[in-house]
Amino acid sequence: MNQFQYVRPTKAQAAIEAVAKDPNARFIAGGTNLVDLMKRGITAPQKLVDINRLPLKQIEHQGSSLRLGALALNSVVANDTQVRERHPLLALALNAGASPQLRNMATVGGNMLQRTRCTYFYDLSMPCNKRQPGTGCGALEGINRMHAIFGHSEQCIAVHPSDMSVALVALDATVQVSGPRGSRSIPFADLHRLPGTTPERDTNLEPGELITAVDVPDSPFTKHVHYQKVRERASYAFALVSAAVALDIENGIIKAARLALGGVAHKPWRLTAAEQVLVGQPATEETFRRVAAVAMQGAKAFKHNEYKLRLAPNALIQALKTAAAA
Amino acid sequence: MKPNDKQIGSSLNRVDGRLKVTGAAKYSAEYELPNLTYGVLVGSTIAKGRITSLDTKAAQNAPGVLAVISHLNSPKVPGFQPTGKEPSQPQTGGEPLKVFFDDKIRFNDQPIALVVADTLQRARHAARLVQAQYARETHQTNMVAGAKDAFLPSSAKKNPKSPMADYQRGQPDAYQTAALKIEQEYVIPTEHHHPMEMQSITAHWEAPDRLTLYDKTQGTIGTRRDFAKEWNLPEDHVKVIATYVGGAFGNALHSWPHESAAIIGAKVTGRPVKLMLTREQMFTMVGYRPYTWQKIGMSATADGRITAITHESIGQTSSYQEFTESTLQQTRMMYQSPNLTTRYRLAALDVSTPIWMRGPGEATGSFALESAMDEMAHLLKLDPMEFRLRNYTEQDPEKNRPWSTKFLRECYAKGAELVGWNKRQLQPGTLREGDWLLGYGMGVGTFGANRGAAHVSARLQPDGTVLLQCATTDIGPGTGTAMTQIAADTLGLPPERIRFELGQSGFPQAGSQGGSSTVNTVGQAVQDACLALKDRLRELAAPGTPAFATAKKEDVALTDGHLTLPGNAARVPFATLLQQPDAALVNVESKANGADKDKFSMYSFSVHFAEVAVHALTGEVRVRKLVSCADAGTIINLKTAANQMKGGAVGGIGMALMEHAVIDDRYGRYVTKDFADYHVPVQADAPAVEVFFVNQPDYHVNQLGTKGIGEIATIGVAPAIANAVFNATGKRVRELPITPDKLV
Amino acid sequence: MATNHDPDLPAPHDEHRRNFLKQSSLLTALALVPSAVVEAAESKLDERVAEAIEKIPLSLKINGKKHKLKVEPRTTLLDLLREDLHLTGTKKGCDYGQCGACTVHVDGLRVNSCLSFAVMHDGQEITTIEGLASGDDLHPMQEAFVKHDGFQCGYCTPGQIMSAVACVREGHAGSEAEIREYMSGNICRCGAYANIVAAIQDVKSGGKKV
Repeated sequence: MNQFQYVRPTKAQAAIEAVAKDPNARFIAGGTNLVDLMKRGITAPQKLVDINRLPLKQIEHQGSSLRLGALALNSVVANDTQVRERHPLLALALNAGASPQLRNMATVGGNMLQRTRCTYFYDLSMPCNKRQPGTGCGALEGINRMHAIFGHSEQCIAVHPSDMSVALVALDATVQVSGPRGSRSIPFADLHRLPGTTPERDTNLEPGELITAVDVPDSPFTKHVHYQKVRERASYAFALVSAAVALDIENGIIKAARLALGGVAHKPWRLTAAEQVLVGQPATEETFRRVAAVAMQGAKAFKHNEYKLRLAPNALIQALKTAAAA
Repeated sequence: MKPNDKQIGSSLNRVDGRLKVTGAAKYSAEYELPNLTYGVLVGSTIAKGRITSLDTKAAQNAPGVLAVISHLNSPKVPGFQPTGKEPSQPQTGGEPLKVFFDDKIRFNDQPIALVVADTLQRARHAARLVQAQYARETHQTNMVAGAKDAFLPSSAKKNPKSPMADYQRGQPDAYQTAALKIEQEYVIPTEHHHPMEMQSITAHWEAPDRLTLYDKTQGTIGTRRDFAKEWNLPEDHVKVIATYVGGAFGNALHSWPHESAAIIGAKVTGRPVKLMLTREQMFTMVGYRPYTWQKIGMSATADGRITAITHESIGQTSSYQEFTESTLQQTRMMYQSPNLTTRYRLAALDVSTPIWMRGPGEATGSFALESAMDEMAHLLKLDPMEFRLRNYTEQDPEKNRPWSTKFLRECYAKGAELVGWNKRQLQPGTLREGDWLLGYGMGVGTFGANRGAAHVSARLQPDGTVLLQCATTDIGPGTGTAMTQIAADTLGLPPERIRFELGQSGFPQAGSQGGSSTVNTVGQAVQDACLALKDRLRELAAPGTPAFATAKKEDVALTDGHLTLPGNAARVPFATLLQQPDAALVNVESKANGADKDKFSMYSFSVHFAEVAVHALTGEVRVRKLVSCADAGTIINLKTAANQMKGGAVGGIGMALMEHAVIDDRYGRYVTKDFADYHVPVQADAPAVEVFFVNQPDYHVNQLGTKGIGEIATIGVAPAIANAVFNATGKRVRELPITPDKLV
Repeated sequence: MATNHDPDLPAPHDEHRRNFLKQSSLLTALALVPSAVVEAAESKLDERVAEAIEKIPLSLKINGKKHKLKVEPRTTLLDLLREDLHLTGTKKGCDYGQCGACTVHVDGLRVNSCLSFAVMHDGQEITTIEGLASGDDLHPMQEAFVKHDGFQCGYCTPGQIMSAVACVREGHAGSEAEIREYMSGNICRCGAYANIVAAIQDVKSGGKKV
């Protein structure tokens, strides 16, 4: 790892300025992904702006949403009473991610900004358009077991690794951002990008923009929720496929639904069309199978991830069944 | 049963437990040495070809860098130079990689340069600045393609009696013409040992011809021999220290290029070099369990008697070294079959050389054999345990000799009871619990009860304790604890008055810790040394106290600081015996088991039973329960032995369900590079494991009656799980691991 | 580690230290170093200056003892403990946050010390395995690991124990299933998992202060 300059501002504005004016500067919070990437030489910032001392850790209910400070630890959010009561899906998704130690380090903001775990991205000697634009996509014709089935491009078929983000996109969260040109809100679904021809860009954040909080709006999804994560071992592994489900059920009929998949695309994959199909339907396995088929429309697999075309709908069905029974 | 006051058969806490739970145990990268430096290796990024240029300027100029060593500037390592003998005849089986010897690249991530710097951070950074250019040659890393040129190992070509040679009894391939037969192919992928401690060495030239290595090795003597030879030094000028080894599972049974590199680095800089591989390098710079293709043809009569088995195997090896293992051994001796054919071949690929991994060969072979047994039982509509019992071997059908001991039948019975085998349904896919399909499976394991030669010294100390020393290592099973127990019983002393020191090449010689042979071998030597010590003490006491002159050494006792004779008033204080320095020191060699080895076939046996749940929709497999039963002779320490069995079972879960190293053949490079890509079992994957030991001594192996545990703890676990998955789902997975994508 | 390059691929990012000095905001960097060095730096950017810039002050309380240190920002907490402070009880098992061998407590929370830079912990309190026992008396978790043989080779053990203590303190040791999930961040390749669970359950029900 190269040497870098280290600063630790205590005010958000100072942090933003430090990064905005230096293209080689990066924010660091939990560091669980950035330190890893730096060790492997995938990213080599020349300045790190440590934001851990900024006052962005609080979790509080404001108006009609729950505001999670960007620096709230994943473990703290997952165990927070308000989160568990108002947004149990989020707690489930958080606890499905990483390990207790990592959840004690990773922050809300950092979790959503995780970079892909694509093996070609991680190997400096292999081509990767995301790491080094123009070198090609190693995964396209390579070992693409873990890769996307939705929204991919010729340039990149990587997936986003976050579990938390799958829940947040389902729950219609909003990301609060401060930047050199002031503050703005980004609907969670618009935070991450599809790879298109610019896979090097994971998100729509502008240089120097700092995530300060995420707002999760109040919703009726406090009971019938489930996060189904399918992985190669029982814990501490990235998802092959995951499904976040939140249902509002009255007398066995679904009044409202929120669905998203993880491990299938370059961003957490919201299933709005499938949600529409669920509304007004009985919460039965037959309904869920129909919906899962809708959810998979437009999916396209590669040589080694064809199984995801079966696993993703099955994970969704299982999540729906579990949520309905909750 | 042993009397309660005996240490053998007890559950003594580990003698080094306190050091391990306080962080005080020192592993090979944890020694503080003056002027210590850090070495970091740079690996190639092509799989085959030549280095055409190596730009080390930036690295050399980076702060703190003391040396950048490559084939361009490496000092000549005497052992790497051609000997002049038979220059055109390569050694049988090839030879290990000579690091920084030439510009040739034989596998991807081959070490091509070593950066030595004054801090770890600086060494790591500078290593990244080294730039290589290559002339690339077409590589082959694909086993399916490589298998087309599979060949008989050189050892078998030279010696038709080699265990690697083709084996035949009865008619060749007799299954082919039978009515009731199966014929299936089985694949296990490349698997990596991945001990938690990554391979580490601290190399220190204490003088120009004196080398000290704090090294992760399973054999201090073997490592000393290798590097003494490499540097043309007398063996006693090389000191190898491996007091604590953070797991190994076989991958420290060989000397690897990084060790040579660290020694070269220390030579060049004149300072000690500490080098710890990265987790990525653990895939390429040390060995692994080779990708192996197998095919089994089996026929049987309708009443479940096996009439023929053909078992073929092709294992992966490197282009420069032949690695062989006993993949087909279990097939030759486990079941009664009048006709039996085995053929073992190698496929040489542009990869690094494999090395034995826990349950080497047999773990691979038993996956195919025990899966095939399950397939055949299913075809015959027989309970798979009943099918095995109908083909049980009462004597070794390979060598036509009696077993030294075999209590496998007892293991079957106990295991079936413990797992609840009666719940198993013949028809797969029958048992269900909500969304989970339940199934039961079994798999059998065996491994030779080997005993080699070992030396152990024993010395009575002035404080009344006995110090034993041996160069053997402890990679985790609890060797020091077991040896303490054996010594305690032999000497009649409480364990706290025994100190057993190991892990240094300067101690009396013993072989590497591997092949489940340490207790068989070193345990016997400890017993012999303790008896010899008693005899020496008796001799020392005899001149002053005649009763000792005629006493038998077994009868002599060490009691409260005195040498005594039970039933006799004779009592000699230790101080009297210790007047001459080293008077009470013995150094004993115990020989490998001799005559009995030709009269009996000696094996440890195990059977594993698995209860699994398979999610009907997601294809996730959870092992709910494992029962491991072992016929491993006398159990010295019930607690550590059970732990070892449970650990082997966890290793088997990894093999069955998740472990697979994958190469992108376009680049000849692993895409699995760390624990995020290469999964090993975590706590949540590990079920309760019930362990049963027959605990019957086998005195043909040694006088303790031990047979060995390490390998049979894993061998047979993976097929037990695979068979249980079949029983749960009706899906037969013949290529490990059984990941959700294969079941969904 | 290797970044030597395939001729068919473009070279990786140039990350030479000199570029770092050239491109980064020099003034901000210099604000951190003594004035004598600043003077030197203004005239000539030599290696000595670079070194001075590269190390920054850090104070940590480790196992109850205060440490005033100067470290390179790129030094991880793990490497600081092992290589600079010789607290080698904390282990390096992967260096990527994928095994848990490096688990320590920072201000009471269990974390992977390999994945954070030491400088990020300025003013914080670190507890390592060496700080768990009080004098000769083992911590109950250490005792339980010995009693239940919760290890074999011992390499993952310090991390397991630090994690186990936290697991109980967090209230995540309520059942075997919960322990197994909340101890899944610590890999034991020897496979002593069942014994580790037994040790934790023993401590949990033992009533001693954890």
